[in-house]
Amino acid sequence: MKVEISRRRFLQGSVALSVLGGTSISATNILADKSEKKQISNKLLKNIPTACEMCVNKCAAIAKVKNGVVVKLDPNPYFPKSKNMLCARGDAGIHALYDPDRLKYPLIRIGERGDGKYKRVSWDEAYEYIKEKLVKIVDEEKDNRSCIGYCAGEGMAEHTFKTFMADKFGSSNFVNHASICLQTVVSGYALTIGGYGLSDLENAKYVIMGGANRAEAIITPDTMDLFKRTRGRGAKLVVLDPRFTNTAIHADRYLPIKTGTDLAFVLAMTYHVISKEIYDRKYVENNFSGFEEYKRHILENKYTPKWAEKITGIKAKEIEEIAEEFMAYAPQSIYYQGRRTTWGKNDFQLRRAQAIFTALGGSIDVKGGIIFGKKLPLAPHEINVPLYGNSKERIEKNAAAIIGGSGSWIAWRNMIVEGKTPYPIRGMFVYKQNPMLSVPNTKKTKEMFNKMDLVVVIDTMPSDTAMMADVILPECTYLEREDPIKSFSGAEPAILLRQKVIDPMYETKPVIEIMHGLAKKLSKPLWEITKKYDEDIKEELADLGKDETQEDYYEENGFNLADAFEESQEEINKHMFVPKYGEKAWKELRKKGVFYPKMDEYFEKIDNNTFKYYPENKKYYTTVKLENECDLNFIDTCVNPKDVAELKREFKTQSKKIQCYLGGMKKRGIDPMPTWHDKDFVEVPDGKFKFISGRHAQFTQNSTQNNIMLLELMRENYVWINDKEAKKLGIKFGDLVEVKSSVGSVKIKAYPTAKIIPQTIFYIHGFGAKSTGLTFAHRNGASDNEIIEDKIEPVFGSARMHETLVTVRKV
Amino acid sequence: MNYAMALNYQNCINCKACETACKEENGVQLGADKQRIWVGINEGVIFGKPYINLYPSQCNHCIDAPCVGVCPTFASHYVDGGIVKVDPSKCILCKGCMEACPYDARFVDDTMVSVDKCTFCDHRIDEYGTTACQATCPTKVRMFGDLDDEECDLVKLLKTKKFFFQKEDLDTLPKLFYIVPEDEVYARQSISRNTTIHTWDEFKEKYDAAKDKRSKEWKK
Repeated sequence: MKVEISRRRFLQGSVALSVLGGTSISATNILADKSEKKQISNKLLKNIPTACEMCVNKCAAIAKVKNGVVVKLDPNPYFPKSKNMLCARGDAGIHALYDPDRLKYPLIRIGERGDGKYKRVSWDEAYEYIKEKLVKIVDEEKDNRSCIGYCAGEGMAEHTFKTFMADKFGSSNFVNHASICLQTVVSGYALTIGGYGLSDLENAKYVIMGGANRAEAIITPDTMDLFKRTRGRGAKLVVLDPRFTNTAIHADRYLPIKTGTDLAFVLAMTYHVISKEIYDRKYVENNFSGFEEYKRHILENKYTPKWAEKITGIKAKEIEEIAEEFMAYAPQSIYYQGRRTTWGKNDFQLRRAQAIFTALGGSIDVKGGIIFGKKLPLAPHEINVPLYGNSKERIEKNAAAIIGGSGSWIAWRNMIVEGKTPYPIRGMFVYKQNPMLSVPNTKKTKEMFNKMDLVVVIDTMPSDTAMMADVILPECTYLEREDPIKSFSGAEPAILLRQKVIDPMYETKPVIEIMHGLAKKLSKPLWEITKKYDEDIKEELADLGKDETQEDYYEENGFNLADAFEESQEEINKHMFVPKYGEKAWKELRKKGVFYPKMDEYFEKIDNNTFKYYPENKKYYTTVKLENECDLNFIDTCVNPKDVAELKREFKTQSKKIQCYLGGMKKRGIDPMPTWHDKDFVEVPDGKFKFISGRHAQFTQNSTQNNIMLLELMRENYVWINDKEAKKLGIKFGDLVEVKSSVGSVKIKAYPTAKIIPQTIFYIHGFGAKSTGLTFAHRNGASDNEIIEDKIEPVFGSARMHETLVTVRKV
Repeated sequence: MNYAMALNYQNCINCKACETACKEENGVQLGADKQRIWVGINEGVIFGKPYINLYPSQCNHCIDAPCVGVCPTFASHYVDGGIVKVDPSKCILCKGCMEACPYDARFVDDTMVSVDKCTFCDHRIDEYGTTACQATCPTKVRMFGDLDDEECDLVKLLKTKKFFFQKEDLDTLPKLFYIVPEDEVYARQSISRNTTIHTWDEFKEKYDAAKDKRSKEWKK
């Protein structure tokens, strides 16, 4: 990235730049410098509790600050979700803060999109630039606010950005990570058992993980709970994966399943337990809706283990054994939900089948099964939302059976690229997301940005997406801002606060201040446009009483876009917390970073590795409403989990029961019950491979790609290819190969290994950045989305990331 | 005081949090081969099936450390608690200690122009009671403690478990205690047949005697 700065500005900025020079190697190196060592004394040492944002888990951390420099991040023991740990990424958070490539001041593009030529401007100049373009667009589109799309990456402040774009600005065209991540599993479980739930891996005795890789895609507390209990220590683990992952190391049974056949495996297990009648009959009788239809469906379609053996490559006998073991350990057995589940066309059905199978053991809403937990309430933060008569519905609402509030990234983008939108999408605001690397088929994403009149990117790093922006607004990192307070549900619920550790560096700002500045600039000019085109408002303004001015109307009805961001984040957090828990608890929260009722009494350090958060009888394992109130007393004293499981209860589904049959889906052309269709399965022809993608424990998607501390753990990604097949193709370790699909090709080094099944290749997501602004990440390995085809599944329009066929060739 | 570390290596998922926390805590030079701490990987295929064993590791802080004896400038030395350290101002980079170390626990830190190694985070023991690698570990592989303190968590743990050492036959009296899995199948999978299995009672006497002999050299 080239940044043009005037001589004067350069001098202004040189102080900041010299600090940066010192931090470029290691934060701790600054301290090792002898001249500075004398100044630093322990007087200036502060320990500030905060929350990690190196991935989505939000673990509690304590930042050690010396003389205004963050020198170490330590785990915070008070948080029951993260249980006193920080992973490699959490530890390396300092290098996100002191990354020399960080976006430091607002930038406006002066070259072509993507070539990285920008000039440094002031915040006011940046806002002014956005205002001019945006007002023109909204005026031309006659106040249809939806003509501006927006997307956001997951994070505590995501909603601050959404509040501005959706509630205040008024656009319906929001896309986020859900449709390229967990939409199918979250909705699949919600529609079937009433919620995604949490796997109680601290108590489960039998766990099947299909594709999920908790050792390398760390989820708290699942990762920590599970791997302390595997390998003959209480939790039996079955792993299905085309790849022998670090999770598979811990498996009692590792099954190298053929890619895309998990549904057949689950259906066959279901067949076996139903035909042998080894499921929990009492639980099913009490809590299932549509079971008889499901039973008939499974039996009539003959989803036998023998049938599944041919599809999955797993022996029928093994399928039967696993099904029997699962039921023997039930209700403390779990078919683990999974997380990033954008695999194939039948993904929604797979997740439903998993949920129903788990429920057949009675393992929903019971200790050791899938639990729903409790969430500690927070007071609402209210926003005055204006109503716009001309804002239209989202463009891709008919792209799949159900398009929710977070949209279908692929369908949405493709409509823009193909020019098939019902009204033009003229601009886009991007916050903390990097669709150039994260959405399948990069070429099309680039094309989409090129069609836009205004692209604004708010981020901390000059990502590939930032390089497509007209205006880049630099956000500060998570260690430089307070974020909205968050309540975490679970068996041991708690509230976590991300506090500012140091003041924002350079000219960066937290997103709430960016939104405030932008709103102040945009509010009045946009109001003028609304007054010009909005018939309802015209009428209402005409009918105003004598003592009411237009200004009053503007303020009272929320058209002052800045009013939602007047308070500081600290104040907002206080207003959300204090009414529920009081001033004393507020002080405690700021001191410890974590709060839950009776923490003082309950919290106990057992040793340096073990902490107790709640007494066993105060944990929220069973929370779903029971049909008979008197059953509640029964639970407290009950020792047999099976008895608890079998109680009649009310789930948060349509029928208040485990829902086997979804009538509403049938009307939308979706199978009402999980069904295997041969035609939906992508066979791999000779000479081709199926491409799969995934994660590992040292990088978070593509957001940590420039972190030098993490890059030394893995410099670039390699393509995994079955060693026998590699031999046939003459490919050796480290050889450069070309991986080519119908949408693109990449060059990447090869890693032939016995740890992956034939006909499937794999490489890790998050590498292959092309932005020249990323000194360390630039062109390391390859990006998966350059070659993944942009197909969507029919229920939610989610991506189908594991169905792309590729060829591999040594170059 | 006699500091040591137990490793419940069965918990390891090779996430490398320990390596990163170590580098951040101690300002270790960047570079993949500059590690004070690491996860040893034993990987292979048996009957067509892949397997991996993970052995998280670091300096053993041996009681009879060959790296200390071999150092011509006394840069390698013991400090209180039997921790083996390097004084960078005395190191002449002859690398004799790197040759002598059976565990390959030492490397050259180019920024300090000295050999560098694990210090059991001795600068933070008073404040935190443990090392950075133990604190950060998601699955809690490590347990740091004082072998002389019968009340400390480490000794309590060792009294209830069996344990073994890496390369014990070299007689350096290492202090990384690998906890033997209670499940026999998993124990057999990750421990070679020739490895000696110890219990606290039979081990204590030998180590105490060695410590008594050596501890005169431990600088305050």
